[in-house]
Amino acid sequence: MTTSNVKFESISLKTRIITMLKVDLRRMFTMPLFYIMVGVSAVIPVLVLVMTSMMAGTPSVDPVTGVETTMASFENVWQTLGSTSDSGAMMSMDLVGMCNINMIYFLIAILVCLFISDDFRSGYAKNLFAMRSKKTDYVISKTVVGVVGGVAMILGYFVGAMLGGGIASLSFEVVGATAGGIVACIFSKIFIVAVFVPIFVVMSVVAKQKSWLSILLSLGASMLLFTMIPMISPLDSTFLNVILCLAGGVLLSVGLGSISNVILQKTSLV
Amino acid sequence: MNAVEIRELSKNFGQKQALNGLNMTVPIGAIYGFIGENGSGKSTTEKIICGLLVPNGGEIKLYGEDYKNSDVRAKVACLIEAPGCFPNYSVWNNLMLQATNLGILNSEEEIRRVLKLVRMEGSASNKFKNCSLGMKQRIGIAMALIGSPKLLVLDEPINGLDVDGMRIMREILTDITKKGECTIIISSHVLGELEKVATHYGIVRGGKMIKEMTAEELEKDCPTYVALKTQDMLKTKALLDKKYRRVVEENEYLRVYDSVNSEEVVNYLCEFGVFVSEVKTDKISLEEYYVNLMNGKGGK
Repeated sequence: MTTSNVKFESISLKTRIITMLKVDLRRMFTMPLFYIMVGVSAVIPVLVLVMTSMMAGTPSVDPVTGVETTMASFENVWQTLGSTSDSGAMMSMDLVGMCNINMIYFLIAILVCLFISDDFRSGYAKNLFAMRSKKTDYVISKTVVGVVGGVAMILGYFVGAMLGGGIASLSFEVVGATAGGIVACIFSKIFIVAVFVPIFVVMSVVAKQKSWLSILLSLGASMLLFTMIPMISPLDSTFLNVILCLAGGVLLSVGLGSISNVILQKTSLV
Repeated sequence: MNAVEIRELSKNFGQKQALNGLNMTVPIGAIYGFIGENGSGKSTTEKIICGLLVPNGGEIKLYGEDYKNSDVRAKVACLIEAPGCFPNYSVWNNLMLQATNLGILNSEEEIRRVLKLVRMEGSASNKFKNCSLGMKQRIGIAMALIGSPKLLVLDEPINGLDVDGMRIMREILTDITKKGECTIIISSHVLGELEKVATHYGIVRGGKMIKEMTAEELEKDCPTYVALKTQDMLKTKALLDKKYRRVVEENEYLRVYDSVNSEEVVNYLCEFGVFVSEVKTDKISLEEYYVNLMNGKGGK
């Protein structure tokens, strides 16, 4: 037999998580899906801004009611990130309210669910759970990697929005908010990713290899929380909003992470 | 201390009872052939040992410790159903992921070692999805061997392999256990191949272990016999019955269990003018033993 001369690192929690994170980040950054999702996140605002600018003011008549409406459009680039808290448009379900950065959380659900279901579909999870890894490590690693992927998509959308705004010649003037408020808004959006990802992780470990089910459950859960996003991360966000979103992200990651952990321990993994 | 000790293991899938108080003992360094019909509970047992299924009851000890103990789990590796590999990754990258997960510092050296063990040094750059079934099974074994596990659980690793693939797999298993450091539990329906490598056997039926034995015990239970064919089998049997205690007609042959000397049997029959058209010395195979056991003949 070939002599085995294997050296193991000491298996502390930190080391276990770092090794697993190395694997998951490597996987994330080598899978085409990640780049497709970030690309889609960047392209969406370009298309939305350019298309709505082109069609702005176009009248259309409802064939049934005969009511004439005109096509609404974005007035400035920052509307793609959200509305100010005093505008009364935070809960708006019109084009401007729906096609802003908040829709990216739905796309993040798809990324996280496909990423985790791939573990179970390929049999990688079998290798992982049979040999060494504690379930906690797995949940922490998937949550962190999901947040990294989600943040990349949020930033992708932001870059796309700036680009689209430039192409559509939209105003970059800050109306009703300060530059600091916009920065706080972006940070709030980033920390909200940590609120959503643990939900997607729970749904994924429930559904395991059934990616369609995890996506369906995740999108359903996202729907329930969707209206909360503009309220806690308005365009005129403050430091308090950032802290609130961060605290929410941490609390949900820990709480839902524990639930994911229990699910993995109590249910069959194949 | 044994590598695996299972007592009264039970597992239900809804109303269906997959394991019904299964007991199992696998000594350290053994190649344990795990045999049973489809649905008898082999895969379920293996998945529970690997921590992939949660049992409803019973006790499992690996190397004297509870099977959930993380130190013990570090000694377990498996190839259950199919290798857990990403199809679009190369063989090397799949192995690298596993090595990284295990925290192996000298990962490249370790991957080269396992690739050499499974005779796949030249295929490291191939994409997993482009590998043949035999190669995939060997990659699965290589994945499992990273980090030199003490207990290797293989669920039907030779199913679907061609003759050469089976030979290579046999050599790999023998190589792994040569030092006696690794214990292997291997389930298979290809009993002829299993017989060539196994040192211990466990036969399971209806979620219960019905027989556990060593290869030596099987050898004793599977006697050698002289099998022969003549033109008048009835007369031949009558003649043989006079001299030998156990003469049985099976599969168109008369089997004489009390003798391993075919020449002696033929000479005896010649004295009575019986012409022997075919004669051979053979022994009861594991397959035959298993079929007899399942049919309630006690294996022999």
